[in-house]
Amino acid sequence: MLTAAALCPAPPLLARELTGAADVLPELREACAAAVSALVAAEPDRITVVGAAAASRRWPADGWLDLSAYAPGLGPAPLGLGERLPLPLGLGARLLDEAGYGGSRELFSVADGLAPSMCRAHGARLAGEANRVALLVLADGSARRGLKAPGYLDERSAPFDAAVERAIGSGDLAQLLDIDPGLAAELMAAGRPAWQVLAGAARELRPTSEIRYCDAPFGVAYLVASLAMAA
Amino acid sequence: MEDRVRADQGMLRLGPHEYPPGQPLIMAIVNRTPDSFYRPGITWDRAAAFDRVHEVVAEGADIVDVGGVPAAPGVEVDATEEVGRTAEFIAAVRGAYPEIVISIDTWRHETARAACAAGADLINDSWGGVDPLVPEVAAEFGAALVCAHAGQQRPRTRPHRVAYADVMADVLEQTGRLAERAMKLGVDPERIVIDPAHDFGKNTWHSLEVTRRLGEMTATGWPVLVSLSNKDFVGESLSVPIDSRLPGTLATTAVSAWHGARIFRVHQVAESRQVVDMVATIRGDRPPARAVRALA
Repeated sequence: MLTAAALCPAPPLLARELTGAADVLPELREACAAAVSALVAAEPDRITVVGAAAASRRWPADGWLDLSAYAPGLGPAPLGLGERLPLPLGLGARLLDEAGYGGSRELFSVADGLAPSMCRAHGARLAGEANRVALLVLADGSARRGLKAPGYLDERSAPFDAAVERAIGSGDLAQLLDIDPGLAAELMAAGRPAWQVLAGAARELRPTSEIRYCDAPFGVAYLVASLAMAA
Repeated sequence: MEDRVRADQGMLRLGPHEYPPGQPLIMAIVNRTPDSFYRPGITWDRAAAFDRVHEVVAEGADIVDVGGVPAAPGVEVDATEEVGRTAEFIAAVRGAYPEIVISIDTWRHETARAACAAGADLINDSWGGVDPLVPEVAAEFGAALVCAHAGQQRPRTRPHRVAYADVMADVLEQTGRLAERAMKLGVDPERIVIDPAHDFGKNTWHSLEVTRRLGEMTATGWPVLVSLSNKDFVGESLSVPIDSRLPGTLATTAVSAWHGARIFRVHQVAESRQVVDMVATIRGDRPPARAVRALA
């Protein structure tokens, strides 16, 4: 069952080397590192990384993040490695590596358009795969949070993200299952399926939570949180 | 990326500094002359020259190149006069800027010696080694040396009907020979630089050819200096007078930087700094200062 969860966003710029000489948003990176450290400190039997991607499937634990897709100038992709991971899973795996986590690791992508009920079922299943399962959920809020946002401003985006923050912050994760996939897609909130996997994994449990970061500095909503299930 | 030559380029040492390949250096021109071709006499006055040093350092110059004799023909400037124009000034610059690399632009060993004694780190012998004693001065002081190609041109003369079977082959042969000789005379190999010397012993076509084929010079492994700033080959290429050659100069700077040139001798420091930094960023030698576009 689920014992703890960490929520992090999945922008490419989370990879420090992609922002060039400047350390952009170090506070975001620190918040993510702290959330993952807390996750590891909960001593789970397994950490399952969850993020939205094109299809629902498992990925090999030795898969890797191909930053050359975002920054070819950083050099050629290393040879002889396993499968290229979708961005959220690759960033999540990297966060686990950076936290020094060497325990059991699962990587699962949930399809972008998957219905909430299916997301919930995936979550329940993932949570049942070990006695103490921790989830590292990589999920972004709306990318339409301002005039300079990737998707331009949509006035519905701020209340949308605020509702997600309230659900996470209060521990009432069931609210996440009510998020309309159509609205989330319109608001370019790529994290919607992953939030709903988290809600499914929590089942009826109401975790205590700590919001570590909540802002949209580039017009994309980033939320970092730690969730601990009551014993 | 075939033109992107970096193979075998090693460390470049100037004074106490070490510069790895991929770190372009800006050499700012400070002429102690009343009659140099670009803005003649502007730093003839000592105070004006010192103001110029302050300015170029603030704009990001890595090297200050002090010269006391114009390249073009004109009033005779003997070694004594040349030393008088440069050595004391170099000592003052060294006093004000202990860290800046100072270069002396001269073909004479007497001037080179006085300049090195005053604190110069680099001898910019842009007339192609006409004085065979210059490398010995470099060796004696542990200074760096620029080995330039001036063809058969004597100092302060203009090329006339100059012709080459293959100008780049001649450049490679002459600069390579000078560099080897300097090394044998005891100049630190990591302090030897080669320079095709645009316009020196060359018509415009020759300067364009050495620009186009500059990758052949960087492929030798010797660090390459280019001195392009506001020169006649730019003026003739674009049909522009001397005060309108900045865009052409910067375009040539960009191409040379892409080919792997490492030192750029310039009048316009701030603009040149941006150009070489931009090209270094395109090459992947330098990261963008701050990249967030489409990465959020």
